[in-house]
Amino acid sequence: MLELDAVTVRFGGLVALRDVTFSVKPGEILGLVGPNGAGKTTLFNGISGLTRVRGRIRFEGRDVTKLPLYRRARLGIGRTFQIPQPMQHLTVRENLAVAQVFGAGKHNPERIEEILSVMELQAQGDRPAESALALQELKRLEIAKALATEPRLLLLDEVLAGLESQAKRQFAAKLKELHQRFGLTIVIVEHDIETISGLCSRAVVLNFGEIIADGTPAQVFRDPRVVESYTGTAHA
Amino acid sequence: MASLDSAPAVPLKAAPAKARVPVGALIGLGLLVLAALPVLLGASNYMLGLLISALILSGVALAWALLGNLGGMVSFGHAAFFGVGAYASALLAGKLGLPVLLTVPLGGVVAVVSSLAMLPALRLSGAYFALAILAYAQIFRILATEASWLTGGGAGYQRYPGLPTVFGFDLASRTGSYLLLVACVALCALAYHAVRRSHVGLALRAIADSEDATRVVGVNSTFLKCLMLMLSAFITGVFGALNAHIIGFLEPDYAFSGIWSLMPIIAAIFGGYRTIAGPIGGAVIIYLFDQIVAKGLIAVGHQIILGFVLVGMVLAAPNGLLGLVRKRARHA
Amino acid sequence: MTDLILQALFSGLLVGSVYALVALGLALSFGAMRIINLAHGELVLLAAYCAYVVEARAGLDPYYAIPLALLVVTAVCAVLFLMIDRIREHRELNSLILTFGIGIILTNAILLAFASDVRTTSSPVLQDATSVGPVYAMNGEIVAFGVSLALMVALWWWLKKSWYGRAVRAVSSNRAAAKLMGISPVRTELVSFLVAGALASFAGVALYTMSVVQPAVGHALTVKAFIVTVLAGVGSIPGVFLAAILLGVTEALTVTLASSALQELAGMVLFLLVLFLLPNGLFGARARRG
Repeated sequence: MLELDAVTVRFGGLVALRDVTFSVKPGEILGLVGPNGAGKTTLFNGISGLTRVRGRIRFEGRDVTKLPLYRRARLGIGRTFQIPQPMQHLTVRENLAVAQVFGAGKHNPERIEEILSVMELQAQGDRPAESALALQELKRLEIAKALATEPRLLLLDEVLAGLESQAKRQFAAKLKELHQRFGLTIVIVEHDIETISGLCSRAVVLNFGEIIADGTPAQVFRDPRVVESYTGTAHA
Repeated sequence: MASLDSAPAVPLKAAPAKARVPVGALIGLGLLVLAALPVLLGASNYMLGLLISALILSGVALAWALLGNLGGMVSFGHAAFFGVGAYASALLAGKLGLPVLLTVPLGGVVAVVSSLAMLPALRLSGAYFALAILAYAQIFRILATEASWLTGGGAGYQRYPGLPTVFGFDLASRTGSYLLLVACVALCALAYHAVRRSHVGLALRAIADSEDATRVVGVNSTFLKCLMLMLSAFITGVFGALNAHIIGFLEPDYAFSGIWSLMPIIAAIFGGYRTIAGPIGGAVIIYLFDQIVAKGLIAVGHQIILGFVLVGMVLAAPNGLLGLVRKRARHA
Repeated sequence: MTDLILQALFSGLLVGSVYALVALGLALSFGAMRIINLAHGELVLLAAYCAYVVEARAGLDPYYAIPLALLVVTAVCAVLFLMIDRIREHRELNSLILTFGIGIILTNAILLAFASDVRTTSSPVLQDATSVGPVYAMNGEIVAFGVSLALMVALWWWLKKSWYGRAVRAVSSNRAAAKLMGISPVRTELVSFLVAGALASFAGVALYTMSVVQPAVGHALTVKAFIVTVLAGVGSIPGVFLAAILLGVTEALTVTLASSALQELAGMVLFLLVLFLLPNGLFGARARRG
């Protein structure tokens, strides 16, 4: 599905990602874990085309390393931003329509309604996305927008952050539903060990721009290096 | 609320479609009647001549506003497209003998081709783009002067046909030219409206908010901006061509004059560049003001008054006269 | 022929130094405020006409005009800054239109006051030629070159060492962060605007003493300054200096080898080549993407 080969990102002298190599299998829900500044968002930016990388990124067998952002979206890589970035002056429905027309190639109002109802945004459909929505609604809009491009791979950047545990469980169940219903492969950035364990079949841990563990959630969270990076004792 | 000022392409509240159509049609009809008035009232040839020039500016102002509103780009070089369209149409009609009704749209096409030379400038950020296009306008003026074997150089070019007679209707007469321009401006306004409410228009508005967020859902923002630049160049070129055939004489300093960059900006800002009616009405008001009032006050350098108008508008009412009226209405 | 080319190179170097001053002023206000002052060329022109007034009307040496030019131009700059500071929405776009309008006002005001005639210094000393090896230069040109160099070194030192210089750099790289550090963006912006005005004052007087001025020159100067900034890429002072000299030399060689009508075009072609082939400029590392 997605293969990364020695992906490296430098900002000036700072190495944000160093030789990151791993692959995502079709249908997987993969948790991307790591402390703040470990390079998770940079990795998403690299995969979606927002940041140029060295190395190679393949999506469904095709080399997308040099493709621009919008081409990757059309190929089927959808993503959300940690801080929601709605198209502010457009209504929720218009947000989805733009994503659908340009990302999936044709306008299909029924599909938009379907996505709205799955994401529980039907009531907000005709409101402008800027101020009329609460933060959690904006986060759901982020996902809805990505879904409207008919992605096969969905990159979710901390969509569960800021929810209390009850709501978090519900939202995680929602993600599982999306995974089934839309036949998605998902990579999700999340800090909460419990959520990762419940949601993901596999977890990859980044620290200081390098992969330090890769395996089932149970395996990686037992790894002493992961424990160390989480408690931060070694680098304090 | 910001949405009021940004002229939503689609009603925010899903108003019943039936109720909207007659209103729009009525306004359009009203404007057409308004446009036909001078002819019906038998305006003097002098007045019709002024209105013809004003409508030429209306077209260019509309094209400028389209680029600014939908493309998010400020152009200080629309004179380039205007002059290229004028020379292309005049030369195609004069040297190759093509019919004028064909060379006028071809003038627009050649202006589009000339706009392709500006595409690398799209990589520059907004302010730099504005300056780049300022520089481009000069290039074309120099080229037109230097290529004297083709354009007659600084001495000018005038042996080319005027507007033809179609179905017994003389477009070269004052009345004919005036009505032709009304139709052209209306057509461009319709095209602008259609683009604005299309998905392309929606995406362009989204790009103005956040370019990355829009590109990440599959929008090729650079391509859409190119399209707007080309559409704007086309409209400007067509009006340049129309003007050339109405005036009957071209020289580089006239066809590429900074006036064709300056006046549309003032007109669009004055009328409100985020609306469609604003630039059109703004051009008529500003041009008549410049010709009748400003020129009477100061013969040489009357543009200083336009400069003050422009500065005043940006400071007091950046959303144009219409925006100012709305603001007053809300405060009242 | 070799002599002619050498002479063109030398003249290009001298005029290029003044282009550098103009371009640095433009770059300074852009660097601090992310705003391009489209009236910058007109500010230079204003200073040049100050020199004309002092020489032709008061009968003094044009260099005495420098205090007057500084006063007039920085005052206009201050007014301009206050206006820009008032703009709340679409700052970048509206400030472009605003400064464009100011440029129109200044050009036409100069046209009204001094007519469209071409003006230049009447001082025999300044117009006198001095030979430097095989090439010649007007004394006015040599003085202008020296003053430009000195000003550039001073500016470089000021940006590097002074508190304001550091603040300007901080504000231009991150406005919000600079605010948190207790740097007032408005104050730093005002200062860089005034310094840009001061540079324009010197450049204007220099231009008057070594070349000819008329109202339309202001617009052309803005375009030239812009071309220099594009050539230089993201600005270092030496980069701007070299790019300005490249422009000056290109123009001078075009006049010598082809025709003076093509002088402007040569600069444009240079500009297009860089834009197409080296979008980061000759000396710039980072892209200027918006």
